Amino acid sequence: MAEEFNPEDVKQTCESYVKKKGALAFGLANIETLDRIAPEGCRPADMLPKVRSVLTVGVGGGTRGSWSADAKTLAYIGDTETMAYRIAYGLAFYIEAKFGYRSIFVPPDMNPEKGARVPMQSLKLHAEVAGIGARSMAGDILLHPEYGMMYYASVFTEMELPPDEPMADNPCPHPSCVKLYRQSGQTPCMRFCPVECLSGSIGNDDKVEEMNYDSHACAEMSQQYEAIPSVLLDTLDAKDPIERGMALHGPENQVIWYKLSIGAGELLSLCYECMRVCPITQTAPMANPVARGAGMRQKVIEAEAAARAEQAAEKGE
Amino acid sequence: MAYGVTQQMIDTFGEIVFKLSLNKQTRRGDPVRELDFAAIETTRAETGLTDEEIAERIGLLPEQVGVVRVFTERKYHKIDQHRRIFHLGGGKRWKKEDYRSPAERLQFREEAMKLRESINFKPELVARYIEDGYWINETLNGWLCDHAENTPDKTAILHPGGDVTYQELKSQVDHLTNGLMSLGLMKGDVVAVQLPNTLDFVVSYLAITAFGGVMQTIHMPYRDADIEFFLDHAQARAVICLPAFKDFPTAEVMLTMKEKLGALEHVITIGDTAPEGSLSLNDLKIEGTPKIENPPVGSDPFLLLYTSGTTSNPKGVPLTYQNMMSNARVSVAEFEMTADDRNLSAAPFSHLYGLFNLHVALSAGATNVLLPAFSPPDLAKLVEQTKATTLFLGPAHATAMINAGLMEAHDFSSVRFSVFSGAACPAQMMEDYRAKIPGTVISQLWGMTETAGATYCRYNDAADVPLRSAGRASPGDEVRVVSAEDGTPLPADTEGELQVRGCSVFPGYLNNLEANADAFTEDGWFRTGDLATIDEAGNLSITGRTKDVINRGGVKFNPADIEDLIILHPGVEMAAIVPVPDPALGEKACCFITLLGDDSVSLDDLCALLDEKKVAKNKWPERLEIVDEMPLTPTRKVIKGKLIKRL
Repeated sequence: MAEEFNPEDVKQTCESYVKKKGALAFGLANIETLDRIAPEGCRPADMLPKVRSVLTVGVGGGTRGSWSADAKTLAYIGDTETMAYRIAYGLAFYIEAKFGYRSIFVPPDMNPEKGARVPMQSLKLHAEVAGIGARSMAGDILLHPEYGMMYYASVFTEMELPPDEPMADNPCPHPSCVKLYRQSGQTPCMRFCPVECLSGSIGNDDKVEEMNYDSHACAEMSQQYEAIPSVLLDTLDAKDPIERGMALHGPENQVIWYKLSIGAGELLSLCYECMRVCPITQTAPMANPVARGAGMRQKVIEAEAAARAEQAAEKGE
Repeated sequence: MAYGVTQQMIDTFGEIVFKLSLNKQTRRGDPVRELDFAAIETTRAETGLTDEEIAERIGLLPEQVGVVRVFTERKYHKIDQHRRIFHLGGGKRWKKEDYRSPAERLQFREEAMKLRESINFKPELVARYIEDGYWINETLNGWLCDHAENTPDKTAILHPGGDVTYQELKSQVDHLTNGLMSLGLMKGDVVAVQLPNTLDFVVSYLAITAFGGVMQTIHMPYRDADIEFFLDHAQARAVICLPAFKDFPTAEVMLTMKEKLGALEHVITIGDTAPEGSLSLNDLKIEGTPKIENPPVGSDPFLLLYTSGTTSNPKGVPLTYQNMMSNARVSVAEFEMTADDRNLSAAPFSHLYGLFNLHVALSAGATNVLLPAFSPPDLAKLVEQTKATTLFLGPAHATAMINAGLMEAHDFSSVRFSVFSGAACPAQMMEDYRAKIPGTVISQLWGMTETAGATYCRYNDAADVPLRSAGRASPGDEVRVVSAEDGTPLPADTEGELQVRGCSVFPGYLNNLEANADAFTEDGWFRTGDLATIDEAGNLSITGRTKDVINRGGVKFNPADIEDLIILHPGVEMAAIVPVPDPALGEKACCFITLLGDDSVSLDDLCALLDEKKVAKNKWPERLEIVDEMPLTPTRKVIKGKLIKRL
């Protein structure tokens, strides 16, 4: 049997843990609310039967500069969601180790047996109900007035902790978006969507009246993992050898294989023979990790010696 | 099929499964944040159903729904959408109208791909031409754009209707390009042109090639049967022609071709009013800058010319920009041509020589003076009127002007450089010509449709060089003479088969495997079929055709020299010697002649002449055929194959 803990203290400890690891936002979603909204099969208890709490963390996207970069660059640097997953993964272990309650990191993945783009759990719903994001006109991407767009990850635990409330206000639509909508009938996100998957309206109260999001159209461009089997099938179907080769080697498909390689363990630049024989690599004083460690230890020894000498001097020894 | 699903089931249930699974989310207000559960329920049905829900609804197993859904989604799921990511961000905002996927933009018809498949250069030679700077990424329209930008007010064309600056020419080309593209013509399409050397020809040529089209030229003298062969072989999609030429109802014939030939879709005629069924070229001039999504590049084919067919059926010769532009660009310096030159071509633009000349002048940014149709007085008058500085002509053009006394009657003093090509150039004629224009430098050029301008005398060559040779190889090209027996290279001044290799040499005949197999050596030398000698300095002299060689009892001789002597007979206009089978000797020489006057000429007369000229008896013709007319190519070469058939 697990030890008794003060739920508020535990909640605060968890928040401190995740924020120390780099999370920007932390909250707990009300399980009853989730159960009423999530469809059967996608509720927390469908994954962890004795779940009592849903903890959610939000991690910031790229730097401000990254929004100015082209989309190709953003595609390479924009995957800070993996950082959110790492933090939530650590949090599940942390709760089990520190408080003794069974916990799991909620996989962000799809449930392919269920249908087209049906997630096992909606991380978005967890975060929204936990009050660390509100749905925007941009395909319900969650936004936070302080942190903007974040990536989210969740942990389910059998430890009962006090839930939070959804955000009191929705930062979307921004006043400038309302202004543009009044002029053109479109918000910026609608206007510049490359696959035109967004539409909707803003009411007289300057709040969202209706938001339409064609996730199928969006996925055609944004969910590259869905393109992979199609690319492979097209390759098999192609009659022309050049067409077949280009389906795999076309520069615009290369990003898929690149990411696949990265995801499979950074299978890039694995040779290093040139560096093995490079004199700088081999002889630079701090190049060797052992030497680096030794150097640091030496610095610590020197610093301690200096401190002792200082103390001795103060004491007049 | 997996889980008992057949293709028929996918076809039958695909649409409804796709529709039900489609997750088009709708949110009214902010119900989740506001915990408005009733509102959430109203939108739940609007989101896509899971496979289980669909299975329950339509009567399939959930696993079967999965199979049907995946295969149907594939129909609708555009896999190349993720490519758009390469066109987003970085200060740009997405505009649908600015983007088309590469697959949509870079389209080619099957016929165009076949033409491209006939482009077969040797990889190691291509590497050399690129590394040495001969082949670069240049196009005809690129040159035009450069001149229109840098020297917009410079006169590009002087023609009977006036003068046209480079800026005006660019504008006319742009407008016609718009019109041609509006017909659905696309990169790689062949557009045939049967026009004289007019402004319409130049504008059509530049407009066709601007959108990546391939221009096929048809010589003006060609009639129904020839035209049908050329249009069909090239799979031409459109033809631009005169409504009629002399007594030939060109448009009418072309419209008949349109009915007969599957590929030919458009007949475009010059002038404001087009015969019924054809389009007016002027109506196709649409204002605005063309938006070309699949622009031509240096390695593209852009010309489809045909050999004259002196020995066999005409062969299609596709030429790339790199072939032709490099040849013209390097020749500008060799000819010392500048933007100040006014260049006049007596040769038709439908022929490689005329086009080569046009390209050289265009490369230099010079003015092209147009002579729509050659006649000795018209050429002489035009030189005087326009003060042409460079003149590209054939020996026949010069001979006709000399004989008619036109060079004395008109002022030729502006002509600083005269290039002869197209046929053998008698030294005496060239000396006579030069004597009449003391300030002019003369040059001889040798080339074929397959080689472009392969050799020529340079502007600063010694004065005697053009009298006895067609000069050295053009930069980037090589010439050699080999033994007709075993293909070994022969020493200087030895007659043998001429072979050419280089950046201007064509990449192979269109749809003609047999001809291609014979045309090139393993290491990429083109077998020209000409007999030639090359002197120590590398100057080339053409001496005849390998296929013309007569093999009389094992003694082979080139009849070209004999023909040159026979036409010295006062009663002979033209002479052509061909082999005639002989049971004892294998072959004997048969001479065909046309007469100058009414007096007949006998075989004995010719033999007496040859005896007088000390020609060995075994080279004398042993049969004489007098004909009213020689079968000639449009470039006035005797079609000996037709003569042989008469025997």
